[in-house]
Amino acid sequence: MEKARVPMREQPVEERIHNFDEVPLGYSEEEAVEEASRCLRCAKPPCMEHCPVLVDVRKFVQEIAEHRFRDAYATLKASNPIPSIAGRVCPQEHQCEGACTLGRVGEPINIGKLESFIGDWAMENNVGEPMMIEERPEKVAVIGSGPSGISCSVDLRKHGYRVTVYEALHKPGGVLQYGIPEFRLPKQTVDAELRYLEKLGVDINLNRIVGLNISFDEILEGYDAVFVCTGAGAPRFMRIPGEELNGVYSANEFLIRTNLMKAYRFPDEYDTPILVGDKVAVIGAGNVALDAARCALRYGAETHLLYRRTRNEAPARAEEFEHAIQEGVIFRELVNPTRIRGRAGWVESLDMVRMVLGDPDASGRRRPLPFKGSEFNERFDTVIEAIGTMPNRLFLERAEGLEVNRWGGIKVDDSLQASIPSVFAGGDSISGGATVIQALGEGRAAARSIHRHLTGRLG
Amino acid sequence: MSNFLITEKHDLNTQDYLIEVEAPHVAERLRPGQFVVLMTHEKGERIPMSVQKALDGRITMFIKRLGKTSLELDDYRVGDSFYQVVGPMGNAFPIERYGTVAWCSDLVCGHAENYAYCEALSRVEGNHVVSIQTFPTKEDVYGEEELRSVSHEYHITTIDGSYGERGHYIDVLRGLLETRDIDVALGCGHIDKLKEMADLTREHGVKAYSVLRQIMVDATGMCGACRVFIDGQMKLTCIDGPLFDAHKVNFEEVINRLGMFKKPEAAAKEAYLQAREGP
Repeated sequence: MEKARVPMREQPVEERIHNFDEVPLGYSEEEAVEEASRCLRCAKPPCMEHCPVLVDVRKFVQEIAEHRFRDAYATLKASNPIPSIAGRVCPQEHQCEGACTLGRVGEPINIGKLESFIGDWAMENNVGEPMMIEERPEKVAVIGSGPSGISCSVDLRKHGYRVTVYEALHKPGGVLQYGIPEFRLPKQTVDAELRYLEKLGVDINLNRIVGLNISFDEILEGYDAVFVCTGAGAPRFMRIPGEELNGVYSANEFLIRTNLMKAYRFPDEYDTPILVGDKVAVIGAGNVALDAARCALRYGAETHLLYRRTRNEAPARAEEFEHAIQEGVIFRELVNPTRIRGRAGWVESLDMVRMVLGDPDASGRRRPLPFKGSEFNERFDTVIEAIGTMPNRLFLERAEGLEVNRWGGIKVDDSLQASIPSVFAGGDSISGGATVIQALGEGRAAARSIHRHLTGRLG
Repeated sequence: MSNFLITEKHDLNTQDYLIEVEAPHVAERLRPGQFVVLMTHEKGERIPMSVQKALDGRITMFIKRLGKTSLELDDYRVGDSFYQVVGPMGNAFPIERYGTVAWCSDLVCGHAENYAYCEALSRVEGNHVVSIQTFPTKEDVYGEEELRSVSHEYHITTIDGSYGERGHYIDVLRGLLETRDIDVALGCGHIDKLKEMADLTREHGVKAYSVLRQIMVDATGMCGACRVFIDGQMKLTCIDGPLFDAHKVNFEEVINRLGMFKKPEAAAKEAYLQAREGP
């Protein structure tokens, strides 16, 4: 029998539902070494193959087991510029941990937590990487400072390019800043990882909205290459009656108020308010829905997560689901809201219909179908729609010459080159909503393509 | 960095004041119709603001002492700096030949927009720009001379009749519509009056636009808080507006959504005033 996973200490449920602090408390050095020591050191490690950025997992885990944290950090950083973040938000169960050989007989290595342990350790101990940058004259603009923008900037800067990042909001990080809540990804961690960019000499311009206060043409003229990673920041609404009512939020609005504007510290410290009723419906079952639901719970609401399929088809990370259920989020599968009813301009209830699963659809998941005659109505005070996001029109409508694909993302070829030769794109702005790690991978791939484009040779 | 330095600030009346801020990259690009997002400090709200003038790297805004942020703003002095002025946001209004244009305002944001639009529209040959301002009473009046200088025709009303014509801009506009050919009417200010203006111009078959000031958070199309329904289609005030065809706006919904945060805003103001008075 293999040794069991070293348990992750967490904030007790009864405490954490009253605060926004991080839930897992992180491994101690001893715990990390013990957990890493369980690794079988497979000859052909499947963990690495299943990592979108090909982190040498076996190597860094072994280095932890040997208490060589500095080496483990260097190994991680070679593939992933933001280990403290990725370790916290990657869907490890579908990637490295899902492939871990140990998982066949028992519990896989807790790779995610070991990764964030090393990232945090390096931050706490002020460990940097030895860096010699050979400067190049070419300038590259990166539009957006989310995960793919970060990884692309880092790689390009290491090649010696002069990199300027344009960020529309007053804080950098994109979805890491406005989307993912503090209890899952502390903003201190995001800020610390972003300081690394500054240390490298990446120039980050905040409050610059390409298309509004700097034109896309100016960017094209001013830079030798451009990486567009404007994300999928625009909310998608269900387009059911009642969405104009007060008390209806897009998950984006709910999370921006909470994470970027810190509405949970209103009015004592921060000035942006939020209103959360006694009973909240969150529609959807992706990570964003889970994040919104767990925030609503922390505001003190009875929180229902309404999903038209079942837990098996839900796209959210396993850990988020476990945490949400532990905390008291009520998960209700196979229901779909059809109308938001209001009274005097405010949400009063939801009309819903029960669903059944039919044949698989294009996504390979079984298609949810309304069950005739199962319509019912239920009282809710607040409705949060978390059914997905799409690329922001603001940039796309003002980026002349940049072609879009069928579903509104930026059209790119296999090398991530867009319809304008000096422009490359990646992250959610091309795929319309994926994971942080996929975006990181695309940022790195784009950096390779940009390097090749600018040097005319393989990078 | 001494960014966003306050270079001028004075009272316009007992409730409204003018503030001029250095924001070169905003001033350089801002066109009538566009707005800015102001953050007083790092923990402040992102507040959409109308701009009266954008000149020489500076922008001028009119502010009403209303909620917590506008009261807090009042504590800033010339020489202080704001955390951020972001913009320009939203869409510029095409400055072209419209014929006779009536521009109506009855609130700080409206008076600022009134000037910004009229100044630009009156420079286009063939336009006859009529500017109409409404104030509650004589003591509240400001901007008259400036607006007179950028319009071909100027009307001022006070609700109590203590200055100018008695009544509201709606009354002046009604008179104009009944006696003259007005090609387009624009307005910004109290939302119930914009609704009246929409109804009135519809009756006369005259094109009208309303500048909407919905609640926004990021103001870049991300949150959807400022959604309005134009002819039944969901639009975002921040990136599709802020100017909309007045005859297509669902004003009941717009008015309802403007009231969403009244309670917490009142609580914040109360807490701020108490803290300012001290224990």
